[in-house]
Parts: sequence; structure tokens; C-alpha cells
Amino acid sequence: MTAVLVKAFRDLRRRRLQAVVVFVTTLLAVGTGTIALTLIAQTSDPYQTAFEAQKGAHLVVDFDGKVDPGALAGTPAAIGASAFAGPYRATDMQFQSGGHKYTVTTIARDNPGGDVGQLRITGGRWPSSSNEIALTRSFADLNHVSLGDRLRVLSVPQASILTVVGVVVDIDELRADVGGQQHAWVIESAFASLTTKGASFYQMDYRFSSDPTSAQLQAHLDTLRASVPPDSITGSISYIFARTVFHISTEILTGVLVAFSVFALAATAAIVANLVTGIVISAYREIGIMKAVGFTPTQVIGVFVLQILVPTATASVIGIPAAMVLSQPLLASNSQALGLAYQPTYSPLLGLLALAGALLIVTIAALLPAFRAGRLKPAIVIANAAAPRGHSGRWLRRLASQARLPRSVVLGLGDATARPVRALLTLLAVVLGVATVVVALGETRTFNEIYSYEGHIGKVDVVVAKSPALADADTTKLINSQPETGRVVAQAFANITAHGIADPVNTLTFRGDSASLGYLLTSGRWFSGPGEVVANGGFLQDAHLNVGDSFTGSVNGAALKLRIVGVVYDFTSGPGGHILMLDWTTLAAGVPDLFPSSYMVTLKSGSNVDAYVRRLAAAQPDLLDVQAASTGNTAFLSVIAVVLLGIAGLIALIAIAGIFNTVLLNTRERLRDTATLKTLGMSPRQVIAMVATSGGFLALLGGLIAVPAGVALYRVLFDQLSALGGNTTPPSFYDVFATWELIAIPIVGVAVAIAAATIPGRWAARTNVVEVLHAE
Amino acid sequence: MSELVRLTEVTKVYQGGITGALNGVSVAVEKGEFAAIMGPSGSGKSTMLNLVAGLDRPSSGTVTVGGTDLGKLGEAGLARFRRDHIGFVFQFFYLLPNLTALENILIPAQLKGNVVPGRARELLEQLAIKEVADRYPALLSGGQQQRVAIARALINNPTLLLADEPTGALDTHTGDQVMELLGELHRHGQTILLVTHDAKLATRHAARVISVMDGKIVDDARLESPDRTASEVIRVRGEEVSR
Repeated sequence: MTAVLVKAFRDLRRRRLQAVVVFVTTLLAVGTGTIALTLIAQTSDPYQTAFEAQKGAHLVVDFDGKVDPGALAGTPAAIGASAFAGPYRATDMQFQSGGHKYTVTTIARDNPGGDVGQLRITGGRWPSSSNEIALTRSFADLNHVSLGDRLRVLSVPQASILTVVGVVVDIDELRADVGGQQHAWVIESAFASLTTKGASFYQMDYRFSSDPTSAQLQAHLDTLRASVPPDSITGSISYIFARTVFHISTEILTGVLVAFSVFALAATAAIVANLVTGIVISAYREIGIMKAVGFTPTQVIGVFVLQILVPTATASVIGIPAAMVLSQPLLASNSQALGLAYQPTYSPLLGLLALAGALLIVTIAALLPAFRAGRLKPAIVIANAAAPRGHSGRWLRRLASQARLPRSVVLGLGDATARPVRALLTLLAVVLGVATVVVALGETRTFNEIYSYEGHIGKVDVVVAKSPALADADTTKLINSQPETGRVVAQAFANITAHGIADPVNTLTFRGDSASLGYLLTSGRWFSGPGEVVANGGFLQDAHLNVGDSFTGSVNGAALKLRIVGVVYDFTSGPGGHILMLDWTTLAAGVPDLFPSSYMVTLKSGSNVDAYVRRLAAAQPDLLDVQAASTGNTAFLSVIAVVLLGIAGLIALIAIAGIFNTVLLNTRERLRDTATLKTLGMSPRQVIAMVATSGGFLALLGGLIAVPAGVALYRVLFDQLSALGGNTTPPSFYDVFATWELIAIPIVGVAVAIAAATIPGRWAARTNVVEVLHAE
Repeated sequence: MSELVRLTEVTKVYQGGITGALNGVSVAVEKGEFAAIMGPSGSGKSTMLNLVAGLDRPSSGTVTVGGTDLGKLGEAGLARFRRDHIGFVFQFFYLLPNLTALENILIPAQLKGNVVPGRARELLEQLAIKEVADRYPALLSGGQQQRVAIARALINNPTLLLADEPTGALDTHTGDQVMELLGELHRHGQTILLVTHDAKLATRHAARVISVMDGKIVDDARLESPDRTASEVIRVRGEEVSR
């Protein structure tokens, strides 16, 4: 054993550069894998911690304001809830702060405690007088509202001022940055002055003795629905949905991260296998001598595997903790969103798993060529002194010769494929690296595209939000009186009950040329008249409907005969969410008090958006919130882009290391040939060109395979992502790469590979011919 | 005859070497000569050849070939110089294993940007290895490999053919054939500088024998001169070695 250790460590010192290659590639691979594993493993961790600590509600249900609150008191027993809170009175309230207007669901509650849905105060205190309010930390952070800020209530005729005295974390709510309307709290005595007749509703929080499944929650909702008058339930949020939305970025990333981790490890395994093969080839005679002096085949294998395991273990010991540290900011953002004092979480088990995985994969990769070394016959290898040279690639050289390429290029092409297994393993690393970059670019771009489309970017210039206190007719008149106004589409929110769907379905009702908003349809067409609706895939899936099918819905107790005419690609509803879009005339009869909450305005070409916004806002400073349609909050997309592109970059670096490694091995093995060529008159530039060609060719070939493979993989992964929201990916989302980009990606890969190959190329060009040939 | 090669006070000390491989050597070789540099292992004969080929640089002194001071050329210049003026034949042939015999022969011409398959075929015929043109080196005998190496050295019509122990890896019969071949080339006007440790070989084929010992020229015999017979050169060499 001592002899094996001594020999392995001496060889390691002698082959420092190769050890560095193993170290760097393993470091990058375990880093990538650990970041991915950490993000995946921690998906439910901070949420779960906060949910338990705050006795989160498994089910939050909104009941119509007409329901008798006394009747609601019996609902927990009806569904077997172990604890409950409420009924709380609630109302949608609009207020102004710092020049912006916001709408929150204001809840009457005298204290933040209770058996269910405790609110954790992370700043300030609970309201104690009727002119005080508490906001969620999520809302306050997103909109830069601070303790002490004064909010001007606009949704009631008698405008009042509320002072922000507390910031709390509500575990039962969706994150503000993912689009959920946030809660705010006032004391019971303050509530009446903040709502208008018919605008309030009740909210109940239910908690069960153990975490219920989706099906169980659905059954509970059905029971609740049966226990109250029809259409009394106006909305619900389950803890599963809240948790999923909370972790939406990680949920979206999970599949891609797993794929990327596998890529990184596969690329590293390919490089290590190449490297050990190279070491075996270069140490051919030495292996014979080792065996001649008494090393057993197993000991020979041990010497080679140890040489790889030492840098691998070192890289893992450094890389795994480093990757865990690098993952923390993303995890911290989750904890901070929950108001948890962020405790960096390091899982020793996860670290050990990553270490074991890295060592296992690298050992397997190293064992195969090491076995070859162990099996070599000493007499033969000592006599032959060197391993048989790779002779493949003749056909390629001939083709290149026929194409009259310079001789150095022809020789380089031959070198690239002289050892087919090495070339294939290198290709694998390159293909994985380039494909990952393609996938990451594609995914990032599509997310941006979805965001642009859902935000109507380029279709709408100004969004006007109206206070209920201002009449629709007055608002419409005001907007239309502006000379720059081109097109106005009014939008109202309503809830429709549909057979087969437990919760009331969020419904967007449009007045005006809504087709111009550019909603993306995956099948069918946009609605064109009363009774026609466009639904998202999740709705069709859960209601077992298809385009062309009719169904009966109800709103305010009135039946609606609806027909599906199109399917809209939708992410805003989240996983499992439902949405319907229809024309104003469809609901007008059933909902006489239907009024738009916002107006999407498209200005005439050449109009000054800022001037328009200022003028319109000044016309009704208290009752209108006028904003230029912006690109909005893209922090969520930025996180995804950073993670995807960052990891893709790491895998691309592994691929570059693979090219460098292969070219280095080729150069070392062909040192005598290079010296001979220099004697025959090959100039240093020609030597570099020859070596660079060998690297560049493999990168080109890898790129040509990787680009279509990457595009195909991107489509598969994006299809899965679309399916999360019950969507079918529309063909236009596949088309995120320009042709020139698909050509440029392999070209850039070739350029980088050539740059990497230039290092061993220069080394070969500087090699002293006399020394090399003398050594032979 | 005009002077082709001149070494002036050339010294070569290898890194870490206590004694020099060459110590102040001065010698000239005329165009058209067949000169042998003879000496035992470590005498500095191969170093002289490497300096003339521009493969190595002297520690001091100058090496001029065809009027070109090699010390003034950079690496690329030296590569061009070798391509244009030098043909090199090695003891162990050093054919590129992944190229056929014909491809090996064509390499120096192709590095120059020339396409001369006709000239290569001519050399294959001249050296009686036409039938091995498309074979890889591993499938050739030692003699065939050395002939291919000679053809490769001649493809660019070099001013000077350098041969470093060209028979060292061959059996006696094949070695004699290779030396006959070099003699034939010399008779057709090729300047040849041969390095060998074999005195008999040197005196049998070369017209001039430069004996090197411990980095110095100890004898320079033109065998066509009546007072310097082959046996005398061998005797001088023997005395030097025994000293």
C-alpha cells in the first residue's frame, strides 16, 4: 500500500498540470451540482418552518358579505378542522402612497395572534387606533412603503389617512412580487369607515391536525360549498398553492437544474476518462517497469485512480462548501420574504451526498482506463516503450488534403480524430457545454417573452386604475378626451362559478378591442361576442372541456351559457390556476354593477407617454392611478436568468477545460512528431495553427451537434414548464433564436476552443527539438 | 567550389553542463562536399549538426550556411531556412506514423505551400521504394523507412543534406545500401554532412572526415589527398579515442 501511495503522490507531483485540469473541472462540476441540489432540497424548507411557527392556515376561504357570519362559525366542524380563525371582515381598499396608488385586501382584526394564521410582526407594532394600519412585509418591501408612512384611502368617499405602524409576515398569502394582492390589517373599529355597502366579505382560516392533500382540500371545499348558500364562496387559497407560488422560481428551475447537474457531471466524467487514458498512454513503459518490479495489476490500477481521486477530493472539499455558500443568497431571499431571521442552512448530508457522487462518478471514469493499464503485459510494454499511436482520422486528413487546406490544418484535423474514443469523450463534453448554453439562453429569453406578452408590452402604453368612487362613464370620458388617446380597453375582474371547478374562476372581462391586447392563443380564436370565452389550459384540463365545448357557469346566482372558443397561454394564474376571458356583454346582464377597475390605453403614434400620464393623473389626482405601462418588476426573472446562465457558464467552462485537456494530451503524445515537423521546416506559427485546428475542429463538430440538440432539449424542458400551468407551448415560443445566433454559437465555441488550444500550441511551438529528439 | 557552411569559434554549453559540448570549433564545408563528422558518443558531433540545421543556437560564435548567419534568424526564420535549404535524415527515421510514405515525403513541400506529387513519385522511384508509397511507416522495414526519410529530406531540393547516424538503426547490409544511396546523391552534386561514430563507414563513403573529440576538432582529413588515406584517418581516430 505504501508503494502505491508513494508512487501515486510522486506521479501527482510530476503531472501537476493534469491534476489542475481534474481539480478545476471537478470543482466546477461539484459546484454546479451542489448549487442545484441545495436549491432543490431547500425548496420547502423556509416556508415549512414559517408555516409551522405561525400556525399557518391549510385553507383560507372568502365568503360573500351577504352570508350570515353566525353560519360560518359552524363550518370548521363541518370539515373537521382542528382550529380556525375568523370570520374576519375584509374589503378591497385603494390608497395612495408616495404618488402611487395601490389596492390591498384590508382585514378587520384586533390582534395578530390566534390559533390559526398568526401574523408575525417584523417591524413596528400591531394597530391600536382606528387611523393605523399594518401591511405585509412582502408588499412594503416591493413598493418601498415604510413604517410611519401615511396612506391616503381613496376607495371610500370620505378620504381618511392611515399611518403604517406595523409590518407583518402572513404565511397564508401569495408573494407580492409574484402578483398576489396583499392583505392589510386594521382594528375592528376602523373597518366600517374603510368600506362601502356591499363591498365587504368574510374570510375564514382553517387548520387541520395534519397536512391535507390537494384532494382532501378539494373535498373540504365541496363540503363548505354545500353548507352555505350557492355562490357564497368567492375565493380560496390552499397552503399547497401558496407554497408552490412562494417557491415558483425554484419550481420552474428544478427540472433545468437537474438536467444541468447531470450535464456537468457527465462532462467531467468524460474529461477524467480522457485524462486517465492519456496518462496511461504516456506512462506505457513505466507501467511495464512497475509491473516488473512487483506491482500487482490492482496496485497499478490503484496508482492511477489515486492520482485522480486526490485532486477530485480536494476540489470537492473546496467546491461543495463554496457552492453551498453561493446558494445562500437565493435561499436567503426566500427566508427574508417570510421575515425569518435568515439562518444560513448547510446540510452535511447533502454535502456528503455530493462528495460521494463526485468521487463515485470520477472513480468509475478513471477505473476504465486504469483497468487497461493493469492488464498490460510488462515485457511488451517495456520493449515497445510507447503506446501504439492513434492512427485514425486518415479519411478526414485526406478530405482536407483534397480541399487544398494548408498542411498544418490538415495535420491538425488528423490529430483531432487520431484517437476516436478521446475525440468522442471530448465531443461529449463540448456538446453538453454548448447545449447547456443554448438551453439557458432559450429559457431565459422565453421567460422574458412571456413576461412581455403577459404585461402587454408594446401593445399598451398607459394603464389607468380607477377608484370605485369614480364613475366608469366619467373615467371613460376623461380618457377619451385626451387627444393622444388611440385605443382604450376597459378591464373588470369577476368570479364565475363553473361546474367541475371547486373555486370561483377568476374572470377577466374586457370592453373594447381586447383582441388588440395580444393575448397569446395556443388554439382556437379570441372571443368575438357574448357567450364566447377564452380559457387557460388548466381550466380546460380540470373542467374536462375542449375548444368548441359549451358549459354552464353562474355569476351572482344567474346562469351563464358559455362556449370555449380559444385557449390562452397563461402563467399569471400559477400552477393549477384557472382563468377565463370574455367580453363585457357576456356578463353585463348578470352583473349589473360590473365596473372596470382599469383601463389599458394605447396612445397614437408619436405621443409623449410621460406628458400624457402627468396630465391624466392631474385631472383626477385622488381617484385615478395613471402609470406608464412599464416592464415592471423583473427581479423574479432576473433570478432565473442569473441562475440559468451562471450554471450554463460553469458547464461551458468545463467543456473548455475538456478541449484544453484533449489538446494538451494530443500535444504531449505527439511531441516527437512535432519536433520532427519543426526539423522539416514547420514554423512556430504553423505548429500553433496545427494544434489550434485540432481543438477548433472538435469544438466545431461539438457545436454543430450541440446547437440542434440544445434547441430540442430547450423545447422539451419548456414544454414541461408550460405543462406546469396546464399550457401547451405555442410554436412562437420555440422561435427564440435568430438563425445568425445558431450559427454564431458554434463559431464562438470554436474561437474559445482555439484560444484554449493556443496554450498547448505555444508550448509545442517553443519545444526544443534537440531535447525532444535526444530524449527519444 | 564555394563555401556553403562555416562555423566560427563556435561554443555550445548546455544548461547545467560543466564542460561544453563544443569548445571554440571553427570549420567550413564547401558546396558539393560529402563530409563526415566523426567521433564517439558525447563528442559534440550531433551538436554541430544541430547548429548547422538551425535546430539549436551556439552559446557563442557564428554559424553561417549559404551566406546566412543563422544567429540573426528568429524561430520562424529558422523554420523557413530549414524548409528551403536543409534536408535532415535521422538515425531513427522519425517518420510521422499516421501518414503514408508518400504523405511523409510530401510534408516539407506542403509546409512550403508547394504541391509536388510528381517530384515525390520521382524520388520514390529513384530510391526504389515506389511500391511502398501508400503504406504507413509501421508496415515498412527499417531500410524502407530510412529511404522514405531520405526522400522526404530531398523533396525541397535542399542545398545541404544532413544525416545524423543514418545507418545507426539498420543492419549492416541495409546500412550499406543507405550509404550507397547517399554516395549516389553526392555524385549528382548534393552537399552532404554526415554524422557517424563509425570510422569505417565515414572513410568508405565520405571524401572528407572531420574528427571531433570532447567538443573540439582533432582531425580534418580530405581523403582524396594522397597523404591522408582512410587507414590513416582510422588510426588517428583510434589514437584519439585511446588517449
